[in-house]
Amino acid sequence: MKENEWMIDHLLFGFSIGAIASYMLLSSSFVSNESVYMLIIFNFLFVSLTFPLDGTLTRKIFMLLIGNIIGLFWNYLFSLFAYTVAYYLGESFNTLYIILSPFVNLIWIVSFWSISLTALASSENRKVRLRLDN
Amino acid sequence: MALMMAYLVRHYIFTLTVLRKPQKHERAVTVGKTPYQPTVSILIPARDEEKVIRRILQRMTELTYPKDKLQIIVIDDASTDSTGKIAEQYSKMYGYIKVIHRNEKEGGRGKASALNTGLRYTNGEIILCFDTDYYPQVNIVEKLVVGFADQKVGGVQGRVVVLNEPQNLVTRLVALERMGGYRVDQHARHVLGLVPQLGGTAVAIRRSLLDSLGGWDPSILAEDTDLTFSIYLAGYKILYIKDAESYEEAVESWKAYRKQRRRWAKGHMQCAFKHSLKVLKSNNLSLKEKIDGLLILNVYFMPILTILSWIIGPLLFLLKPMQPLNALLASLLVSIYSFAGNFAPFFEVGIGAYLDGRTRICWLIPLLIFTCLYNIVICTEAFTDLLISKISRKNHLHWDKTVHSGNGNSYIMS
Repeated sequence: MKENEWMIDHLLFGFSIGAIASYMLLSSSFVSNESVYMLIIFNFLFVSLTFPLDGTLTRKIFMLLIGNIIGLFWNYLFSLFAYTVAYYLGESFNTLYIILSPFVNLIWIVSFWSISLTALASSENRKVRLRLDN
Repeated sequence: MALMMAYLVRHYIFTLTVLRKPQKHERAVTVGKTPYQPTVSILIPARDEEKVIRRILQRMTELTYPKDKLQIIVIDDASTDSTGKIAEQYSKMYGYIKVIHRNEKEGGRGKASALNTGLRYTNGEIILCFDTDYYPQVNIVEKLVVGFADQKVGGVQGRVVVLNEPQNLVTRLVALERMGGYRVDQHARHVLGLVPQLGGTAVAIRRSLLDSLGGWDPSILAEDTDLTFSIYLAGYKILYIKDAESYEEAVESWKAYRKQRRRWAKGHMQCAFKHSLKVLKSNNLSLKEKIDGLLILNVYFMPILTILSWIIGPLLFLLKPMQPLNALLASLLVSIYSFAGNFAPFFEVGIGAYLDGRTRICWLIPLLIFTCLYNIVICTEAFTDLLISKISRKNHLHWDKTVHSGNGNSYIMS
């Protein structure tokens, strides 16, 4: 049981940070609803699937926050693109935007999550190498 | 939508299951300490495999299992190249290797048919099967047969790892799929007491059970899935031993990938038609086994549902606009589910690679979108073929053999 204690601690801490970040996003008037829902889903998936892995809590939280920033930036760019296209193509593009939005978002979610896995594992590998060297 | 959600939750549970400490998941199967060493017959069906047959046969001679308890049978399935000759050379050198030649009339009817021919010549208590493009660990037999000490166990599946992974993008993506499928999916199913699936290779089956089932069904293209459910319906269990590794030569081109997956999809769909109702009615399966079994059986229909949802969803949205949140979530679930290949969501594949210590390959996970889209085409094509053959009552289903280049050899020699 003790072996898993750190994992539970990390998960609890991660979910708390994720909840705070999501609450802040929800209360913000600058972020669109679609973006907020995406980031909530990202936070949930990221915390539940990355925080139980080996690695320091600081690194995991740092990556979670970076993920939120990238997500916000991505959605900002995508909405700018959507507004521009909608200006020329008309309101019908908004339908396409809502349908495409999750798919486009998954591109950064999956990519960022994959890179995070690599970053977490490489830090652990470095630790093992240092231990072996000493 | 509900079905997609069910698959998504299932894979999420699988991923969380393997993320817990691995030692907790291991069953008390200690290799090497057990006196249980039954007689074993290994079946190797081969059709035009001259580029890879030498590799597997050489490996067979290196197996550490006592040779007096081992019998190896190569079924030369009417090969037109030198497969039979190479096998005969080994047969002359090693007494425990036997070659069965099938003539043109008997041969070419698929793997199940070849295996049934080989089965007639076996005398082992346990039957193992290997495809010719595989390269197993030297002690794989010990690892696989130890599970049969439990009389309730009807089959044991080992792990498949891609041998020629660095070759190109296709082999790398197939390797990722295998990591998700075996390191997470199969392992979780074993740990959770669900339905670990028999693959067509690196697999061991109890001989007496196989006889009682009448061998392999030659009319089914996915003879492994068919056998999995026949075993469960007969009241036996299947184990998955993740440490029993066998290395496969993965398909190297998108064309070969399509051919292989189309065969798998057709076979799986055949099994779904054959077994779904039986699984539901069976008293030999627990409720969780039934649910998992039905999800496995019907998994190849999901890409078709995905494409249907992509077509119907926007149409419905245009006709009767939903709340944006509903549309978003519906679309998101579809996307998450189908983002990765081999019907495993991206997180399952990623965790599989992470647990294997293969983190660099995680960078390729976003590219699995291509296999995902490709599988939609493949499964739709397979379903159409199957439907045509059902309606016309003609057997349009033939065994599309995967051609092996032998490029995997270089990864063993180096």
